[in-house]
Amino acid sequence: MPTLRFAVRALACAVLAVTVAACSHGGRSQRSSSGKTIVIGIDLPLSGADASVGESTRDGMLLAVEQARSAGLPDGYTLRVETLDDAVQGVHSPQQGAANVRRFAADPAVLAVLGPYNSNVAAAEIPIANAAQLALVSPSAVADGLTVGPTAEELRRANPGLNTFFRLCATDTRQGSAAARFAIEKGWKRAYIIDDNETYGLDLARVFEHDYRALGGVVVGHDHIEAGTQDFKALLTKVAGTRPQVVFYGGTTSTGGGLIRQQMAAAGLDSVPFLGGDGIPDIAQAIGAAADGTYYTIAAPDVLRLPQARAFVTQYERRFKSPVGPYSANGYAAAEVVVHAIEAAILRGGGAMPSRADVVSAIAATRDLPTPVGPVSFDAAGDLRHPIVSLYEIVHGTPQFIEQFAIQR
Amino acid sequence: MIYLLIGIAVVATIVAGSMRSRALSRGVAIGALGLLAAVPLAVHDDATINLLADAGLYVILALGLNVVVGFAGLLDLGYAAFFAIGAYTYGMLASPQFGIHVPFWLLLFVAALLAALFGTVLGAPTLRLRGDYLAIVTLGFGEIVPQIFQNLTKYTGGPNGISALDIPRLGPYSFGLSATPYYEVTVALVALTILLVCNLRASRLGRAWTAIREDELAAKHAGIDTTRTKLAAFALGASFSGLAGVVFAAKLSLVSPDLFQFQVSVLIVSMLVLGGMGNVAGVIVGSLVLSTVNEAILPQADTLAERLFHLRVDLTADHYFIYGAILVAIMLLRPEGLLPNRERRAELHASADA
Amino acid sequence: MHEFVAQLINGISLGAIYALVALGYTLVYGILELINFAHGDVSTFGAFVALAVLEALGVHGALHGITLVVVSFLACGGAALSCAVVNAGIERLAYRPLRNAPRLAPLITAIGVSFILENVMQLWRGPAPVPVPGFFPNLVLTAGGMTVTLQQIVLVGMTIAATIVLQLVVKRTRLGMAMRAVAQDREAAALVGIDVNAVIAATFVIAGLLAGIAGFASSMYYQSTWFLNGFDAGLKAFTAAVLGGIGNLGGAVLGGFLIGIIEALATWQIGGQWSNVAVFAILVGVLVVRPSGLLGESVPEKV
Repeated sequence: MPTLRFAVRALACAVLAVTVAACSHGGRSQRSSSGKTIVIGIDLPLSGADASVGESTRDGMLLAVEQARSAGLPDGYTLRVETLDDAVQGVHSPQQGAANVRRFAADPAVLAVLGPYNSNVAAAEIPIANAAQLALVSPSAVADGLTVGPTAEELRRANPGLNTFFRLCATDTRQGSAAARFAIEKGWKRAYIIDDNETYGLDLARVFEHDYRALGGVVVGHDHIEAGTQDFKALLTKVAGTRPQVVFYGGTTSTGGGLIRQQMAAAGLDSVPFLGGDGIPDIAQAIGAAADGTYYTIAAPDVLRLPQARAFVTQYERRFKSPVGPYSANGYAAAEVVVHAIEAAILRGGGAMPSRADVVSAIAATRDLPTPVGPVSFDAAGDLRHPIVSLYEIVHGTPQFIEQFAIQR
Repeated sequence: MIYLLIGIAVVATIVAGSMRSRALSRGVAIGALGLLAAVPLAVHDDATINLLADAGLYVILALGLNVVVGFAGLLDLGYAAFFAIGAYTYGMLASPQFGIHVPFWLLLFVAALLAALFGTVLGAPTLRLRGDYLAIVTLGFGEIVPQIFQNLTKYTGGPNGISALDIPRLGPYSFGLSATPYYEVTVALVALTILLVCNLRASRLGRAWTAIREDELAAKHAGIDTTRTKLAAFALGASFSGLAGVVFAAKLSLVSPDLFQFQVSVLIVSMLVLGGMGNVAGVIVGSLVLSTVNEAILPQADTLAERLFHLRVDLTADHYFIYGAILVAIMLLRPEGLLPNRERRAELHASADA
Repeated sequence: MHEFVAQLINGISLGAIYALVALGYTLVYGILELINFAHGDVSTFGAFVALAVLEALGVHGALHGITLVVVSFLACGGAALSCAVVNAGIERLAYRPLRNAPRLAPLITAIGVSFILENVMQLWRGPAPVPVPGFFPNLVLTAGGMTVTLQQIVLVGMTIAATIVLQLVVKRTRLGMAMRAVAQDREAAALVGIDVNAVIAATFVIAGLLAGIAGFASSMYYQSTWFLNGFDAGLKAFTAAVLGGIGNLGGAVLGGFLIGIIEALATWQIGGQWSNVAVFAILVGVLVVRPSGLLGESVPEKV
């Protein structure tokens, strides 16, 4: 009977291919956790459009690990790094991120994972890391719901009392809040808000709008763009019609921040200040002189005030022959936290190979660890304690530090 | 060791599959199914099982698209839209989003029906369109649907999507976070899909599809209701996608618009073309090969290059290039696909002779 | 009203670029019935080449007079020529072997080529958007409260000029006649002695020139370029070609301008994140009512 024959043949092909796939993959996990090698996993978007930030973040992490390696770990342990890309066909993929973390979780030698970069990838990875009691330290996932709130609790339902997710960045709440305070301080009473309709930008803009209104500002318009659009003339003509005193942008330079600022002049808005979060610090490189008059927040104390930060920038540029990326310092700090925790766990265990749970508790116990993003301590939810937000203005193409905000939750 | 056994079983299956005896064929089919289901007993690596589960979902998607493109000859470039609809159905009806918690098993039906409904809705305006116009319109739908999900933040979570979706339960037993139960469900659904698709193909509807594909005008004059036949293709094709979407969402415990972009539609179409359009076995092979390439080989390109060619290169920036080169190479070397059906092979060789 | 006209101007400028890309698409489709997915990326490649030319010439800021004209010609010419070469190469290597294959094969190949091109460009200039020096002076024309920039005028002018030249080539030259013949019936054209391969190659060269010009125009107008621009622009441009009636040159241009205007007006009225939805919704609407597009001929199907 032809139908059944087809079906059977089809199934046979399925079994065959499954075998091939299982073969190509199964070989990897036969490795046992040999002796004294500790593996740190890195999960970042490293191909496609996100590669620009992914690579520089990874480089920051690698620098920290290399330095730790040359300094040597206690008791003869060595560190190895395994990097996986969570971008599929150029876009960060929560599905790939989850698969990567499963891979790390299945490898007993992996004691901690650095990453991911994006918040929605983190949402897919946290449950798996939580179930495996594997530490997941992100340099940049800023969505509030990852650590606080009912969703955050749901993400940890495998081990409800245990938090294995930590992040080295200020959440949107804090940056948006600082930006709103700054705007009101400067006397900008009418704001037009634009965001790129992506996870980071949308959240940031939402918080800014809320706090700005609460402080007495008037929001004359709030628009969402499609990330990757090139032509903003139509939008900016509309904005010009509302005569704002400041334009706030939630998003990054590449999703539209750079082009919007650049095209503001053509719409008659070149004297209007442009305010954003830590997604646009590279705007001067992207658009040159048109970037003047841009203000942005960075979720860290000023580089020039911290010797660690200055040293980091010098070392990074010497090692990688390129300027630091927007999250390189966060990546470096994340790696420092993990290395420090691993060392602490080794020492506490008297030289025995630490377990994943040991590393998690060591990370949670981090107290004022000096890093390029300031002294790091975590609260119970995995967020930074005492976060500092710094505000910069771009003058003649270079960022100038203006002011620092200390944010209480 | 286990691979040797599987290999023997595969050969036995292929041999037995060609035999006339119906009972033997049936037995072998059940045996093959049992073997697939037993894989997690031999392979304990959760990451591999996860990979296989994903591969299985792609098989279902490819088979569904094959109904539309391979059987009925309707060029659909926006198939990921139905996948998204299925996934978001689970995301919205089994999560903290609205506080509704419909059971997983019920949602499988609901999503299949919903996707079928949307398949009909999206197919309706395209009935009078010729080949490539149809392609562009379906491509447009493929772009619009995730965009709508991204924009309606209040209902769909916007670009963040909806996370922490319900974990499916089977009686007292909860699926948990291991990939194995999802894998088993996927295997069952794959078998179901293969059976349904093969039956559809042999049915009157299947023959009507073949007629439309070959010559629509002649089919119409032969009495076939082309409207209903085409809509049936869209609806049925989409329903498989809806099924896959639910399992996908449950396993990932998250839905987000950037999981369903144009690249996904392209990937599934490529699976069809690679495997041999119209041919069920070919499509399965094609989907398994490409999903392995995409999820296992490409992310590991550096390690593979080192192991196979002893080259220390950083290939992370080159994934797109490799994927594109593979597509082009396959098309140039074997455009009819790996396992073409008889008509396709005749088509190509005939024109080569001409 | 004031704002409406301003948005209209924005839309026309945007549409001019879509129109240029759509011309190339429709040209290739008319002759081969192939949706060349890589066309948008070829155009972006042109933008990259234009940038390279500008950098080689040491251009930093606005230029004037004869310098401006010469530099523009060099950059535009460089872009156009390199795209023509690339396009012809793609045709020869990737599409010609598949000329008799089932429809989907060259389509998949085109997608593969598109990925390859995008990756090449990413390796060339990195994954972030790249600034292009603004070498056009910021002159504006003001009339009745409306402002139009020099770039916008030049842009639209280029599009119109390209369309006219193309129409002349297709309608008045022997090559054009051969192209129309091959588009109508490839076998019959071969039978009357037309070298089909050469004609198709020539078509791709011309389409490549157009793509290069579009790339130059885009880099000049936006002062920025990005390796992924081609995908979105290509999609919209192809939509424009279909809207106008595929295979119809005038239709492609009309479609391009229409799509640009729709996008601008949609951004103005309902917000940027809905503009793509609006564009496709209109496309579907038009095709339901008029399946062959706005200017397409309803060719009765021969049985």
